[in-house]
Amino acid sequence: MVTFKNVSKSFGDIKAVSDVSFEVKKGEFAFLTGPSGSGKTTLLKLILREYLPDSGEILLDEINVTTLKNKQVPILRQKIGTVFQDLKVLPERTVKENIEVALAVVGLSEGEWKSRLDDILKWVNLEKRAQLFPAQLSGGELQRVSIARALVVNPQLILADEPTGNLDWETSLGIMDLLLKINKEGKTVIMATHNQMIIDKYNKKIIHLVNGKLVKEKGEDKKVKTRVLEEV
Amino acid sequence: MSALSFKTATGYIKRSPFQALSAVFVLSLTFFVGTIVALLVYSSSQVLKYFETRPQVIAFLKSDATPEAVSALQNKLAGDSRIKDVKYVSKEEALSIYKNATSDNPLLSELVSPSIFPASLEFSVNNLEFASTVIEEVKKEPIVSEVGYTASLGGEKSLQDVVTRLKTATFYLRLGGGVFVGILALTSFLILMVIIGMRVSARKSEIEILELIGATKNFIRSPIVLEAFIYSLIGTFIGWLLAFIFFIYLTPSLLNYFGEIPVLPKEPSNIFILFAMVLGVEIVASCILALAGSMMALSRARQTK
Repeated sequence: MVTFKNVSKSFGDIKAVSDVSFEVKKGEFAFLTGPSGSGKTTLLKLILREYLPDSGEILLDEINVTTLKNKQVPILRQKIGTVFQDLKVLPERTVKENIEVALAVVGLSEGEWKSRLDDILKWVNLEKRAQLFPAQLSGGELQRVSIARALVVNPQLILADEPTGNLDWETSLGIMDLLLKINKEGKTVIMATHNQMIIDKYNKKIIHLVNGKLVKEKGEDKKVKTRVLEEV
Repeated sequence: MSALSFKTATGYIKRSPFQALSAVFVLSLTFFVGTIVALLVYSSSQVLKYFETRPQVIAFLKSDATPEAVSALQNKLAGDSRIKDVKYVSKEEALSIYKNATSDNPLLSELVSPSIFPASLEFSVNNLEFASTVIEEVKKEPIVSEVGYTASLGGEKSLQDVVTRLKTATFYLRLGGGVFVGILALTSFLILMVIIGMRVSARKSEIEILELIGATKNFIRSPIVLEAFIYSLIGTFIGWLLAFIFFIYLTPSLLNYFGEIPVLPKEPSNIFILFAMVLGVEIVASCILALAGSMMALSRARQTK
């Protein structure tokens, strides 16, 4: 599904991502872990073509993300559901309108909106909050709006950047339940997090970064796939 | 442009009503003045045309001229490329014209009979410069007794003076009106550009989010361009409507004052057609203004990104 081949990205003298290679298969749930500033968000932004790598290749299915023309970038992004670290909900639109925007962006006819909206609002348990504005919601609810917007277009790949950051444990578990539910439906999830309790709780693939380098990659089967790539 | 784009555009307008009002106000003023100038240009052209096409030369015919000879001369004049609008005026018609002209003094018309008025051939010249040559040629025709030139009827060179002055006035009216409308259009364009530019700046984070979730350029631009179109079209309609009401109010007085000079169409339906044509041209102009203003603002925002 997602393949990184020797990808590097620098910002001036700072090497954000250095020669990273890994693969996340279709239907997998992968934690992108590491301390703050280790390059987790940069990796997600590279998949989303927010940044172009200095070298290496990123493949999404058969598409080479790095060689895509600018005009094709929106089409790539429409295939990915993204839950941003800073949520990026539209503050002047209601919950319903925030989700509608995603449907409009992919060009779905308005006739199909209602059923999709009703389903997703029910799924993230925001039916009663549909007409509220983001300022009227709690942190957990905002996170669920962001997830609903990412999922409503039915993408095959979900990128979630610190979706449990700044949330209490109970709310974090609620968000994790949602992401696991999506994963069970066959969707690939890549979730960046530095929350060790979350990582430990769920036995999922781990891609561990330190200073932009991939230092440990562990499969869901801990015994076989754990490998230390570099001592830090 | 989807319903969502329209909803978003109207949402932008509702959130900044004073910006919207200023844009609509300036655009209304521009198109109000534009409509007035367009109608003044039309009226002045009509006045000029009226004076230019007045019969300028009257060839009075001898009383013994046969109808065949008159007809032959009429055909000869009609075939001359320097001459236009050749018209035969019989003795009876000449009396009728005289009676009309002296209607305020019936005694004068009672004392005359058709026999004292000569029949005539009236015509205009395409260019007043040809007038003296044509008159000299017509004077030599055997059935012509005398040639009158309207310039000499109303005072020395009066018609030529009127036409020349009208031409000058029309030229300055068009030039002045054009410059004034141009300045107003430029002001409208800049105001539209500034307002749309402010809108883009205020929406920068929203635009960024939309880009990240896969919105195309057209999807992002359409509400912004639509907003400029809404301002522009509302401004056009208000400006045009005010000018229309203004003219409808003034039309009876204008028609009465100018008499037979057709400053405006006399038929109400023709007045409506004239205004509809002006509105059509203004709608096209406002669309160009909106498109140019919004695209310029968007490209500037892109450069400063």
